[in-house]
Amino acid sequence: MTPGPWGYVLFRFAALLGAAILFGTLFGRPFAWLSAFLLAYLGWHLWHLWQLETWLRKKLGEPPRDAAGLWGDVYAKLHRVRLQSRARKKRLARVLKEFRKSTQALPDAGVLLDADHEIAWVNKAAGKLLGLQREDRGQRIENLLRAPEFVEFLRQDDPERVLRTSSPVDPEMRLALQVVPYGETQRLLLARDTTHAYRLESVRRTFVANASHELRSPLTVISGYLDALAEEPDLVEHWREPVQEMARQSERMRRIIEDLLTLSRLEASGAEAERERVDIAGMLASLRKEAVARPERPAVIEVEVESQLGLWGAESEIYSAFANIIGNALKYTAADGSVHIRWRLEGDEPCLTVTDTGVGIPAEAIPRLTERFYRVDKSRDRATGGTGLGLAIVKHVLQRHGAWLEVESELGQGSSFTCRFPAERAWLKD
Amino acid sequence: MEHQDITHHWSRRFNAELEAVRNNVMSMGGMVEDQLRRAVEALERGDSALGEEVVRDDHKVNRLEVSIDEECSRIIARRQPTASDLRLIMAIIKTITDLERIGDEAEKIGYLAARLALQERPVDRYRGLRHIGDLVGGMLHQSLDAFARLDPELAMQVLRDDKAVDQEYDALTRQAITLMMEDPRSIRRVLDMLWVGRALERIGDHAKNICEYVVYMVHGKDIRHVAIEDAEREVGGENG
Repeated sequence: MTPGPWGYVLFRFAALLGAAILFGTLFGRPFAWLSAFLLAYLGWHLWHLWQLETWLRKKLGEPPRDAAGLWGDVYAKLHRVRLQSRARKKRLARVLKEFRKSTQALPDAGVLLDADHEIAWVNKAAGKLLGLQREDRGQRIENLLRAPEFVEFLRQDDPERVLRTSSPVDPEMRLALQVVPYGETQRLLLARDTTHAYRLESVRRTFVANASHELRSPLTVISGYLDALAEEPDLVEHWREPVQEMARQSERMRRIIEDLLTLSRLEASGAEAERERVDIAGMLASLRKEAVARPERPAVIEVEVESQLGLWGAESEIYSAFANIIGNALKYTAADGSVHIRWRLEGDEPCLTVTDTGVGIPAEAIPRLTERFYRVDKSRDRATGGTGLGLAIVKHVLQRHGAWLEVESELGQGSSFTCRFPAERAWLKD
Repeated sequence: MEHQDITHHWSRRFNAELEAVRNNVMSMGGMVEDQLRRAVEALERGDSALGEEVVRDDHKVNRLEVSIDEECSRIIARRQPTASDLRLIMAIIKTITDLERIGDEAEKIGYLAARLALQERPVDRYRGLRHIGDLVGGMLHQSLDAFARLDPELAMQVLRDDKAVDQEYDALTRQAITLMMEDPRSIRRVLDMLWVGRALERIGDHAKNICEYVVYMVHGKDIRHVAIEDAEREVGGENG
């Protein structure tokens, strides 16, 4: 225990009581003396309390009063606490100011919203991107950003979702909006200017579409002549093999271009696929027929179909997606392997699963399978004559149908591809 | 003390009701803006499906107008608003009428866009109309912003902007006459085009009306203090 001021205080109090008793015994009336001494003691403390209170009311600059014992201690401690809290407040204010300044300088628009979607704070970029002003504090944001699309987006309140739309200030400007919840009911609305990326993306898209289109016509001429040449009986024998190879390669190039065009068509069309009735059972039957007719194919090709189950979607797209997945399974499965195709409801979601006993895919390659021209094994795929675009097409088709692709695979054991469609796209024949 | 609490409570509910009506007006405005934007886009892109969609969606605007109208009548009947509250309600009732008309004009443009999409398209792809559409869309946007922010300055700005729309409309008329004289076979199409121009010009006038209501609402009052006045007046309003 540290020797605080209390020992001194007690000593003084005891001395006071002693003096009172001494005076009482010396002069008689001990209680009157005791009361007088205690009153004096109380008065002294009250006076100090009054002094303390006036000091506390003064500005902080005033040095603490000198006082003996307990009061001196209280003054010193209080003074220290007050100095500390002033320093902390200053530091906080400075940090806050820096923070405000830096958020004002952010290139992205930031808007703080309270529980009723009222604007609590906006930064400078919010003016440029969203047309909000500092004076709009207290306004409901839906009253200023009125586009029904945005109101719906805000109502959904999904922090994962990004709304891509044009700016209310300038229709040419493209924005990516996101709502992040924080605190209990507050929201932070972020908007980023994506005009540049959007333009680049559309330039890229048109470039790929135009380039593939332009390449197609000369290629048709070349492969036409090559076909004629390959069948020419007068062709010198040592040219026969090279000419056939050229014809094969130009055929492959044609298929790559077709796939590129399909991809750019898929990208250009709206986000959601049409809803026509697609008879999947019939489609799988004809795909099976094609598979069986292949010269090289796995020994076992099984198809298991819930024939009542159909799909709402775009028939030609679904066909090319399924054909690509089944084609891959056939391509990478040896002659003594098997391919199993299953079309059924899992829960209430329609699913196509294609399982093979083929070469399998290394785990690190699975996330990259749907990239364009991505090849698991550089040498093997080119030999089998793939375009490198098949799974990219599958991905886009599935995206447009709100479906997703699940891939499981083990090297040397085989792979399993599942397309899982949302329940609302199923329809049942009666 | 108790009495004060009750009136305070009442005025808070009243404010919430007014706020709700105002929010509905703004969302109706947003809907109408979207209709106009899509109608002009349908015209420019020659997208008949989009044009028909605009025509189909007009009933949503109409429905909202009816429900806001009912809310306003109820507020007048139950709360007997005075002064600036009354002006707000009056301005809302007038504004939704104009918004509904704008919706009708947008519907008309959507209908014409669907019809024009099936015909031969001019070389300029209706750029002149697109330009007027952008001007009018901007006016509508600003007039609704002025309404939301109760900003008479911005409202005055829109009133001035309408001149540009009128000039563009005149230019369009002259161009239409030239086109019809050059090739009488195009008369049908050009007439439709003129109808679109006319509808856009009308939308500009309706946007102007909305701005006039904003000025009416704010005129002579410092609107930054509306909230406090509301509360004070409500005490008197309840007693009277």
